Amino acid sequence: MNTFSTYSFFCCSLLCIGLLASSVNEVHGQSLLDDLGPSELAVHPVYATFKDTRIINVQSNETPGQNVMHFVIAHRFGQINEGAYALWGLDNASMRMAFDYGLTDRLCLGIARSTFQKTFETSLKWKALQQNSDDSVPLGITFYAVGMARGDSTFAETAANRTFTNRLSYTYQAIITRKWSEKFSTAVVPSFTHRNLVEFIDNAHDQWTFGAGGRYKLAQRISLNCEYHFLLKGLKESAQNSLSLGVDIETGGHVFQLHITNSRGMFERAFLTETTGRWRDGALFFGFNLSRVFDF
Amino acid sequence: MNAMKVILIATMLVASNFCSSQQWITRNGSVEFFSATFVENIEATNEMASGLIANDGRFAFRVPILGFRFEKALMEEHFNENYLESTRFPNGTFEGAIANWSDALQDGQSHTVKAQGILTIHGVAAEREIESTLQWDGKAWIVQSAFTVLTAAHEIPIPKMVREKIAEEISVDVQMTLSPR
Repeated sequence: MNTFSTYSFFCCSLLCIGLLASSVNEVHGQSLLDDLGPSELAVHPVYATFKDTRIINVQSNETPGQNVMHFVIAHRFGQINEGAYALWGLDNASMRMAFDYGLTDRLCLGIARSTFQKTFETSLKWKALQQNSDDSVPLGITFYAVGMARGDSTFAETAANRTFTNRLSYTYQAIITRKWSEKFSTAVVPSFTHRNLVEFIDNAHDQWTFGAGGRYKLAQRISLNCEYHFLLKGLKESAQNSLSLGVDIETGGHVFQLHITNSRGMFERAFLTETTGRWRDGALFFGFNLSRVFDF
Repeated sequence: MNAMKVILIATMLVASNFCSSQQWITRNGSVEFFSATFVENIEATNEMASGLIANDGRFAFRVPILGFRFEKALMEEHFNENYLESTRFPNGTFEGAIANWSDALQDGQSHTVKAQGILTIHGVAAEREIESTLQWDGKAWIVQSAFTVLTAAHEIPIPKMVREKIAEEISVDVQMTLSPR
């Protein structure tokens, strides 16, 4: 008897659970979407931390995708404080042409040429770590290595010094980025630059700089960018820290970058270690970049 | 004996309850879209769509927007970053009921049905009736559908500059095979 009543109790419970389940099903039935379970790609690598492969002067974490050629024409005009005679620097433009090719979605090879010091560059950029949307990886880390060769005939004081190796310099960077929100991203960029020949005898061949940059999106296709590079000891006092402010405007396949900076050169050795302009003197340069991608 | 009856009734009720919630499901449905203008054709495919049909004719479909693959990497980034805002609105969904649903649909023939429900893209819901074909192949439902989506209906802004490159009317193609859950 006792076992029977246990059975009936068990069965009644089952019945109740069954009815309950069906009623829950009906309530739930308002949204079958819930029955699909967790969404695919709810966790994904963070994309578009910056609009372009550069923040202003310095590289961002972005690389062109696989088989994509990223072409940049960059202009840097003369000093703004030259005044009306030189149309506030616009008469004196220097130019940099760069081709970056994405070997994979994370690895890219680049070549570039600047009119400033007739410099050639070859570079390699590797997105080693990508930030993840659920913060399981909170940061992105990208490595950048560039070799620069100046080609100007007036380089160095004596002809004997104008050897090929003396024309070379190298910069290595780790670009540590985080996209905090849809609008706000930051980067921390420690750089190491080696120059085979230095202009002043008391300058170090090896120079560390510590950079920081960021962007804030003002609108869907417009962002405000800034970057700063702090020189750690080694250079003469005349050397300045590089500070740049800019705006990125994206239009379909192009990104336009407008900026004001106290650095004249557009490659790493120049803006990291050879910045001489001072913001407070108005010794600033207006810059204008245009980038375009081509798919192969 | 009394207890046996209770067991029987309970078992039947529970079983019928499970039967009534018979569902067919997929997690790798294919969704393609196509934007055609005289300047540029843009195409993207997604093989990660989920779909569910219950045996009372109700359905739910969900497409992770970040799963669309484009020919050009930059297009994909702009699609997610500027147009669909995929971080804010990660999924497109369509949920509702098939209007003329009946068990007779399961006869192996291809049937044209009307799927009535709410289509949500870019966080903006719109009531839609989408014509689809439904065929039972003995094991699973084969669902096919082609329809259009107006970007304006889902508040997807297209700036003047790119209006020649991006169509206002996007063609969508859906193909799915839904197996018993």
